[in-house]
Amino acid sequence: MKQKKLYWNICCVTALLLCVITFTPLVIPQGVSNPKLGGVPYSLWTSFIIAVLLVVLTFIGTRVHPGMHKEEEEL
Amino acid sequence: MIFWVWVFGIIYAGLLVFASLKSYKKGRTSEEFMMAGSNVGLTLGVLTFAAALFSTFTFLGMPDFFRINGVGAWIFLAVSDGAMVFFLLWFGYHIRMKVKGMEFRGVSGLIGRCYQNKWAGYVFFLSAFLFLIPYVGIQIQGIAIFMDAAFPGSLPTWGWSAGIVLIMLIYSEIGGLKAIIFSDAIQGLLLLAVIWIIGWYCLSHFGGIGPMFDRVGEIQEELLSTPGPQGLLTPQFLLASLIAILMIPVTQPQFTTRIVVMKSMKTMQLMAVSLGAFAILVILPTIFIGMYGVDLYQEAGRDEFFANAFLYDQPNAVAALAIIGLIAAGLSTTNAQIFALGSELRGLLGGSENSIMTRTKIGIFVFSVIAFFFSIIVIDQLVLLARVSFAGTGIMGPMIILGILSNRKVSSAIIYISLLGLVLFLMSLGGWIPSMYFGIRLDLLLFIILGIVALVSHLTGEKPQLIKEESLKH
Repeated sequence: MKQKKLYWNICCVTALLLCVITFTPLVIPQGVSNPKLGGVPYSLWTSFIIAVLLVVLTFIGTRVHPGMHKEEEEL
Repeated sequence: MIFWVWVFGIIYAGLLVFASLKSYKKGRTSEEFMMAGSNVGLTLGVLTFAAALFSTFTFLGMPDFFRINGVGAWIFLAVSDGAMVFFLLWFGYHIRMKVKGMEFRGVSGLIGRCYQNKWAGYVFFLSAFLFLIPYVGIQIQGIAIFMDAAFPGSLPTWGWSAGIVLIMLIYSEIGGLKAIIFSDAIQGLLLLAVIWIIGWYCLSHFGGIGPMFDRVGEIQEELLSTPGPQGLLTPQFLLASLIAILMIPVTQPQFTTRIVVMKSMKTMQLMAVSLGAFAILVILPTIFIGMYGVDLYQEAGRDEFFANAFLYDQPNAVAALAIIGLIAAGLSTTNAQIFALGSELRGLLGGSENSIMTRTKIGIFVFSVIAFFFSIIVIDQLVLLARVSFAGTGIMGPMIILGILSNRKVSSAIIYISLLGLVLFLMSLGGWIPSMYFGIRLDLLLFIILGIVALVSHLTGEKPQLIKEESLKH
């Protein structure tokens, strides 16, 4: 249980970090569209990766959330 | 095209009739009518949440938003949705634990009980009413404009709007929330299929993703980066939008209801993951449609772009599918929103069960009529109005999260401060007060202030008294 809580907290911090860096010049440098990846502008491919990572984190979250099975156990 | 509209229209209408009859049950309880018996499985859960979230706003609004503001629109919606599904996992757990063992009668009723103060419910209901009705109105208007373009001169725009409202009312009256959930499932699949068919066509126009962005760069380089040619997509705008979208499962009652009516915690968590994947799949082709619009219809108005990209440039069967898909998208979302308002009203009413149900149904009718009038008078960009709707209801987020999460007896001050925040936000929308303070947007400022107030309220709240075992013995 303790380990699950740790993993869940890591997921939360990672999700928060991903959201924060999205709004920095690391992902959205103003007026800059290079370097492109496969012709896709910089901000689009970086933010695409972030969106996918957030969904992956959600999936991991379903596995490690410490209280997720509480409802079923109590029923 | 008319032939195909009839073919797809009859299939869609048949599915709707089947779904409403399947959901209709004589002598059903109000719980079955309003909450679908709180027994929704994974597939239906994903599709109903997705259909309520992705509607005319995504189908028409996002391509237009990409066309005008460029690639930063992806962050505005897709990254925000990614964060929202993670947040949904966290919030979904807490709200389901909170309502366990009690009858859920909407967020208004729940929050009133949490604070033991009816004003909390009234303030939430007010925000939901004020910000959902115009949003419903503009979606109805979107469909009406589209229908007018498909069948010019056959009906006035308001006639299409009235028809949509009428179908929505009859449908929800017969089948209740369960019928709405079934129609959402049909719409969710239809939306995904149609948006990809049209998106693929638009991508083929360029011959690939690379050539598409090369061409767009030649036309207007600013579309390939933030803040976009209009200067709208600044980090601050995107951050405030992310917070507003994060708050959707908390403050938009149609979504909160869907979290609660899921069969189990496990289906709710899987729904969150699938919704995230669905969001990426649905938003991706809207980039292609938007970029197509940049190439061919950059100078055109909104309605002209919609009519050309979705109808006139498509093969007849695809154009017909787009019409039916759009009707389905608009119907299910507006239905969900109006029905959720009815559900919220139900949570605030007292009296016998029969009288509550009658007054709730009258409420749903009144909300639909008001939404119809809004559909005639509202003129705005779909996406921006949707964002205002998310931000407006989002102001209530800290109050609701505090009420649900805090195990302490917290002060009611946040209820009145949230009401004040709502009034200030409305005044800024009306242009009576500025929308920027110290270089910060008012909505972002309100989220920050209310978040701090919620935290302080929790920390200064009275801790629950624990009765010691020893004192019980004496």
